[in-house]
Amino acid sequence: MCLAIPGLVCELINEKRVMVDITGVRREADTSLLEESLDVGDYVLVHTGFIISKLDPKQAKEDLKLWDEILSNQ
Amino acid sequence: MSEPTQKYRDKNVVNILIKKINTLAEKSSETIRIMHVCGTHEHDLVKAGLRSLLPKNIDLIAGPGCPVCVCSAQDIDEVLWIADNHNVTITTFGDMMRVPSSTESLYQAQGRGVAVKIVYGISDAIKMAEKNPDEEIVFFSVGFETTSCVTAAEVARTNLPNFSVYSSHKVVPPAMELLLQRDDLEFDGFLAPGHVSTIIGAKPYEFIPEKYNFPVSIAGFEPVDILLGIYAVLEQIVEGTARVDNMYKRYVKYEGNPAASRIVDDAFVVSDARWRGLGVWPETGHEISDKYAHIDAKKKYNIPNLPTEDLRGGCICDEILIGKSKPQKCELFNKSCRPDHPIGACMVSHEGTCNVAATYEEIIWEE
Ligand code: SF4
Ligand code: SF4
Repeated sequence: MCLAIPGLVCELINEKRVMVDITGVRREADTSLLEESLDVGDYVLVHTGFIISKLDPKQAKEDLKLWDEILSNQ
Repeated sequence: MSEPTQKYRDKNVVNILIKKINTLAEKSSETIRIMHVCGTHEHDLVKAGLRSLLPKNIDLIAGPGCPVCVCSAQDIDEVLWIADNHNVTITTFGDMMRVPSSTESLYQAQGRGVAVKIVYGISDAIKMAEKNPDEEIVFFSVGFETTSCVTAAEVARTNLPNFSVYSSHKVVPPAMELLLQRDDLEFDGFLAPGHVSTIIGAKPYEFIPEKYNFPVSIAGFEPVDILLGIYAVLEQIVEGTARVDNMYKRYVKYEGNPAASRIVDDAFVVSDARWRGLGVWPETGHEISDKYAHIDAKKKYNIPNLPTEDLRGGCICDEILIGKSKPQKCELFNKSCRPDHPIGACMVSHEGTCNVAATYEEIIWEE
């Protein structure tokens, strides 16, 4: 039950609700816990129907750079 | 879907990381013990078979990471007392159904006619109360910060005369501090839980290196995420440094999720909490704040002092929960206590340490 699952925002319903695609299944999610605004195409973490975090795409790219670093200086 | 997820499962990256971890571990002749405090870490790392890939001198130990497993019998006793003495329907997560109270589980209580319903989350319990105004609904809420914020959001916006919440919520960082203070536990670093950290951020762990000179890394849940977390904490251990390395930055910001934290601070107050078999741990719990007393089941129902028993018939969940013993040391393990017939709390949920050990039958627990 404390699982948080990554999903993709696929539709904005209203100010407090969006539709999220979680590995092919569409589910409504509540956005009340989030300060940032959401757009279609954002990746998010969903926990019991609430979005708890939005993926930072810049950071995700930097992750990849960090790996390159770790992986290259073997 | 092209979620970055795929990249975090890349076999090639996993193999290289394992090699790098090996190189680091070779620098130490001693056994290095890393404790995680997250049921999801336990489940995901066992499922991915990561323990068997790690060097022999690295021992990944499971701490008190599952809110279902650490829920004390008394909390369930009290919820059952409410059900038995007031005409209410208990709603809760499916994971809670088979956890033993002092006398029975919610599932067994259901068998003798107590109204218990499984819900996906608190929101469904509220919908149930809205639809059935004549029915009194109590939501039995367990969870760490990840779940507390969801409960808090609903508590703050719900005002139904027939709905209340019994909080068994817990907070993670002060519990980590209590683990550090125990002299019967020996370990070298913490792998901090990624999902909890999306809410609280990296900051609340900083006292660990500062006050205890003890290494911490925050890790996500894909195989690469977990290995990066292990790599980061191991590097600190081997180098003899201590800091908080955030290895789940794509979802965990330094300050966490401020909106969610504000909602939690409004709806909850930090309190002492009972942990299964471990007694009362100061300031590790979340009770509903006075502002929302009308929705607090503990205030709504006058619960008496009940005799309580956390560990039954030789169960050593108290030692399992803090990583002091491994499931195989329990005489009941895989004999009378099995996933299909749990006796102790750690055998119940699919991420409980005993359950994982029995399900995956992996020899992950070499002494
Ligand atoms: S078993 Fe359930 S309650 Fe326990 S850690 Fe996993 S998801 Fe959370
Ligand atoms: S095997 Fe069962 S009885 Fe033994 S410690 Fe684990 S949960 Fe408790």
